[in-house]
Amino acid sequence: MAFDKIKQAVVLMERERVKDLVKKSLEKGESPKAVLEQGLIAGMKEVSKLFSTQEYFVPEVLMASEAFYAGFDLVSPLIKKDEVKEKGKIVIGVVEGDIHDIGKNIVKVMLEASGYQVIDLGKDVPIEKFVETVREVKPAILALSALMTTTMVKMGEVIETLRQKQLRDRIKIIIGGAPVNKHFAQKIGADACGEDATAAIKLCEELIG
Amino acid sequence: MDKISQVIQRKRKTAIFPIVCADHCARLLNMKLSEVAKDGDKLAFALEYGYRFYQYDMVLVFSDPYVEAQTSSSLDRTEEIIKAASILKQKLTVPVFVSIKGPFTLASFLIGIEQFLKDLLSNEKRIKNAIDTALKFQIKYLEKLLKLGVNIFIGDPMASISVISPNLFERFAYQPLQILIKKIKDRNLIAGIHICGKTKPILPMLDELGADILSIEDITPKTNTLKMGGVATDTIFSGNEEKLTEEIKKALNEPYLILATACDVPMTTDPQNIKLMIEIAQRYRMK
Repeated sequence: MAFDKIKQAVVLMERERVKDLVKKSLEKGESPKAVLEQGLIAGMKEVSKLFSTQEYFVPEVLMASEAFYAGFDLVSPLIKKDEVKEKGKIVIGVVEGDIHDIGKNIVKVMLEASGYQVIDLGKDVPIEKFVETVREVKPAILALSALMTTTMVKMGEVIETLRQKQLRDRIKIIIGGAPVNKHFAQKIGADACGEDATAAIKLCEELIG
Repeated sequence: MDKISQVIQRKRKTAIFPIVCADHCARLLNMKLSEVAKDGDKLAFALEYGYRFYQYDMVLVFSDPYVEAQTSSSLDRTEEIIKAASILKQKLTVPVFVSIKGPFTLASFLIGIEQFLKDLLSNEKRIKNAIDTALKFQIKYLEKLLKLGVNIFIGDPMASISVISPNLFERFAYQPLQILIKKIKDRNLIAGIHICGKTKPILPMLDELGADILSIEDITPKTNTLKMGGVATDTIFSGNEEKLTEEIKKALNEPYLILATACDVPMTTDPQNIKLMIEIAQRYRMK
């Protein structure tokens, strides 16, 4: 029941309540992994559902994400690495020239809540930075975001540069953001396009499990 | 009478405007957007060049979304926009529109977008103050533009249902838009609203605003206000003739329409794609 309360507090965007409930659960001796999975992550999954059915919108998801992280920051240092089945590494970032990162941040929190290890390069990320990180980190997926029609073209340039450096075939590439869709993804050589955060998670699961 | 006004008055079925803005026009001329966006003469020159190159039915003075948000800094460019609008109004016979931001979106730039979105649910006072400041600023800016006799497009992308709920739209975005539209209509000039992304749940409210044109992504729902759109932004970017033809034919089933792209044409779009859109539209345009 304690986990249900945590889940509900995430869904209701109650940051302080999430913190209190997580602390209490840990004091009672609940496993941090269970608090994370059955409370916090379950809450974000519900938020994701509400977002896809247009009962929640971006402000609600941002507030719920804050509540999620309030609990996540308490439990994650207590979880041993071998306790969690890691689903794979995902590098995410907003392409060069674009500073709109809310969509990317929402996808990031949903991915973390789904068990992926996310390396967030932030916003206005130069092509070289994406290439360098792909080479060093060897992620399973590279997720590119852009909000503007002026910057979406940079996504194609990132992919082309990865191709030139013979790094493209090592990874799956997904794109997202208001101006892009699956036709654009095909045109620039991405593997897929996520219409929103929920779709992005589904895509990652389909691509790498 | 120009074609846009004729369609608004239902005396003509269609007019056309692929939403070509300063960034694409600058590229046609091998100029940098940064150069064009801060110089009224160059901005007018680039937009006039784009108009003469493609021959569409209106011109939109739009360089980038940050014009009004930068007025308190050394980057204030509103006087350059006014200058460009004035030059184009004198030189062109097609209607000249200036794009301004809806107070809701401008307020989000003033607070910072992420904080603004959180404040919508947790700090109503700060939101109301920011929107009030943005509205007061836009009224002053609008008055200067209206004196030139130019038409206005209000872009309010943050008010899209892709971002906020219909309830938040009604509480915070609706009234400031209504105030600005009334001011435009009081001068007998054309008022357009552009909101990208999802809009269906707020269409009845958008319809009640009293604007002349609604530029939206999905033009299939019925509205009393004249719609503008029909071609997906990525379709024009990709230049897929089959898809372009399909979208244009479908759009032209609307009894009255300004056939346009759903949002501004991406800067690097091949000019041939834009010409193709106009050619196809002419081929299928209802008489």
